[in-house]
Parts: sequence; structure tokens; C-alpha cells
Amino acid sequence: MWGRTLQFLPEQNLREGLLPWVIGVMLFLCTLSLTGAIAIGNGLERWSTSLTSNLTVQIAVQDKAQRMAQTEAALTLLQATPGIKSASVLADADIMALLSPWLGDMPLGTNLPVPTLIEVKLETTTPLNSKALTERLKATAPGAQLDDHQAWMAQILDMALVVQLLLGGVVVMVVMSTIAIVIFGCRAGLATHRDSIEIMHLMGAEDKTISTAFDVRYLAHGLKGGLLGVLFAAASLWLLSTMAEKMGQGLISASLPVADNLWWLALLPIAAASITMLTARFTVRKALLDMM
Amino acid sequence: MITFENVGMRYGMGNEILTDISFSLKRGSFQFLVGPSGAGKTTLLKLLYLAHRPSRGLVNFFGKDLTILEREALPRIRRRIGVVFQDFRLFDHLTAFENVALPLRLQGAKKIQVADHVEELLSWVGLEDRLHARPATLSGGEKQRVAIARAIINKPDLLVADEPTGNVDAEMSRRLMHLFVALNKEGTTTVVATHDESLVKAVGAPVLRLDKGGMNFEPGGSPIDPGQ
Repeated sequence: MWGRTLQFLPEQNLREGLLPWVIGVMLFLCTLSLTGAIAIGNGLERWSTSLTSNLTVQIAVQDKAQRMAQTEAALTLLQATPGIKSASVLADADIMALLSPWLGDMPLGTNLPVPTLIEVKLETTTPLNSKALTERLKATAPGAQLDDHQAWMAQILDMALVVQLLLGGVVVMVVMSTIAIVIFGCRAGLATHRDSIEIMHLMGAEDKTISTAFDVRYLAHGLKGGLLGVLFAAASLWLLSTMAEKMGQGLISASLPVADNLWWLALLPIAAASITMLTARFTVRKALLDMM
Repeated sequence: MITFENVGMRYGMGNEILTDISFSLKRGSFQFLVGPSGAGKTTLLKLLYLAHRPSRGLVNFFGKDLTILEREALPRIRRRIGVVFQDFRLFDHLTAFENVALPLRLQGAKKIQVADHVEELLSWVGLEDRLHARPATLSGGEKQRVAIARAIINKPDLLVADEPTGNVDAEMSRRLMHLFVALNKEGTTTVVATHDESLVKAVGAPVLRLDKGGMNFEPGGSPIDPGQ
């Protein structure tokens, strides 16, 4: 098809020359939005995996002897419960480290009534009925409170879903805007080349021949813009992940898609070129039908 | 070969520019189309080179009724019609060779055939040394000869020329008319619209005279130009 294309359109003018840049900017935004959505998805998966495989039991009893006794009873119960891989009491030093952001560095052995924390690791194969466990814990150690992080996770999941939907909306809007820009560009191109198109028609050119010339031109615009946008986006992502790595293996660096998972970036210029070409084809063919 | 019967033409809801036009063009005939400005010459030419369909009346091209012909069938008929414009309408970014080659390439002719035909034809119109010149570097007469070559490269059955001598000097006008007459002698039905009555007298061909939207037919006289 392309080898036999009768390219009667002159070299692109300034207005057409800007189109790849506009498409590039659109694709840059699209890529960042998609990556953001993927990063949030990755982050959620990690958080949810780590949080659903852990429980925390807090023994909040002011009397130290009672607290120790209830801790021992709760620990025995937890270790005997199917679905629990391990249960261990968090050391005082670790608890003080957890509290230090709020209370500052405090010496161990202070009289502060700090609850005892039991860190529980769950087996992934056997599901745990946390409601039944809560009731049994209450019966064994009345001061025990089970935190399976579900309330907090539910809020985070809701929030993440909203952000992902917003990013998806951005992608849809960017694609629609790109289509609108290509339609405007195409119509301007048709107006600019109207005389040439008329001459081609009078020489016996079919609509397909004329629209193919536009197809090829806009396919090239889409491909150029797509490559530009993806290159800039890839550079930005590399910069972000480098900075995140410097900050340590926190949530950001752990959530960003790794290079192995970025193969889909290579598809974006092809998608941009296809969308641009098909939009041009429909726009031109529709306009040609209005000519005799 | 081409018949117009009671043809009327108006643009949109405007007044009729052509009213009850009836004539026929026989194969191999030569006609001048004359008339004052605003008489409808350009509109009639547009109907002849299928840029428009008439508002009413019957138009028959090569045995096909244009009024009921589907849009998809028009390119095939247009390829049998060559058009020459006063303002040449060449593609400025293409060379003379490429401009003339376009109709052949549209028909899918092979590269070697295109090269042979185009070079031969440009040589026939006296532009063998201007094959690769772009229109911007050509004179008015040269541009018009390229346009004529483009119009006839497909050996059309009908050649329509709209004021082809309007942008060239008197000597070039005479030479261009010789080209049209020579083409007509090879069997191409030719219609030339002109303001130049001296050209009409020089060739002595029949005249279709448009006035106030109507048409009169005038038989040809004796040519006074011995060059034809």
C-alpha cells in the first residue's frame, strides 16, 4: 500500500510540523498517567500482601503483672491457632523506636504505660477467621485488641481506586484531545490543499488514493510524536526511579514499574501512529464525500 | 459523445447561471466557447470537466447519464477528460516531468512507461530541456505547455481548456492554439473557452456562444491562420 502511495501533497508546512510535538506532549502526559496508575497498583499489591500476612495484637493493660500474664496467655493461644505461622512479642526497644517520632527518644525502663505488642505472621495457605480469633482472645486475655489493618486498608484502597480512576480519566481525555487535534489539523490540511485535491479529482483520482496520501503523512506525524513523547516519558521515569532509589527502598521506588515491565511503552508510539492515521483517514474520507 | 439537454445550473439557492442549455459534442469536433464575463462559461466548463453536476436537465458523457451516475463511477469518466486552466494549476513542488506523470501514475502505469510517455510528450510541446524544472522556474507559456501535456498524457476523449491563452503573450497564444488544433486532428474532442475573438477567427472552428445564461451555436468560418 505505502510503496504505491501517490504523494501529491507538498512538504509539510510549519503548522503541520508542530503536530508531532503536540502529539508528543499528549503521549508524554498519557505515559506518565499510565505509569502513575500502574505504580499505585503495584504499591497496593505490596501493601496489601504485607498487611494481610500480618496481624498485630495489642495488650493494653496498665498493671504490668496483669499485662505480662495476658501477653503470655495470648501468645500461647496465637501460637496454637491454625493459620498462624509465628507470634512473637515486640521487644521494648522496638516499641520505643516506633513511638520515638511522637514522644522523642526515651530511655528504656521508663514508667510510661506502653502496651505490649505481639507481631503475628500468618500462613498464606490457611485462611484465618479474625472475628473468631478476636472473640477467643477477648476470652483468654481481656485486654487484648486484634488489629488486622482492614479498616485502614479499606480507606487506602478506596483512595487508591479514586486516584487510579482519575489517572484513567486523564488518559482518556488525552487520547480524545489528541484525536480532536488531529481532526482539526486534518481539516486545516484539507483546506490548505483543497486546490491540489480538486486537481487530483479532476485527473480521475479516487478518494482512496487521496486519503492514502494523508494517511501516510499523518502516520509519520503520529509515529514521530509518539517516539518523542515516550522518549521524554522514559527519561522522566528513569530520573524519578533514580531519585527514589537514592531515597532508599521506600514505597515510591518499590512501586515504580521496573524496566522489565515497561515493554508496553514501545507500543505507545505505534498506538499513537495508528490513532492519528485512522483519525486522519476518517476525517479526510468524510470531507472528500462532500466534494464531487 | 457528449450531450446536454435543457441543462440548468444554480449554486445553492441562487439564481440560475445556466438556463436550458442544449448542445452536443461529436467525437473529434473542435468548439470554441465564448461569451461575456458572467455569461456562465466557467460554470459550463465545470459541468464539462465534471467538477459539478447540473441542477437540472440531462447530461450524457460517453453513453452514461451523469444525473444518475454514482459518485464512485466518476473517476473512470474523468480519466477520459483532460483539463487545461488559465492559471495552469500545476503542483509547485513537483517538476514538469512529475506533474505530467501524475495522470499516468493514477492509472497505475509502470515506471518505464511513464518515463517514455512523459519525455515524449514534453518533447512534443517543446520542453525536452525543461523536464526537471519546477513550475516556479518556468515562463507562463512553458507552464501552460506543461499543463497541456498533463491534460493529454492519457490521450483523453475530451479536452477542455478554460482561457488557456489568458496568461501568455500573443505569440505563445498562437503556438498553444496550434497544439490544440493538432491534438484535435488526432481525434481529441476539444472545447476551448476564450475571450479572444481573434483566436476564434484564426482557427475558424464552430462557436458555442453563451449570453445571459442561454446558448447560441455559430458554425465555423474559414481559418485565417495558415499555421494550423
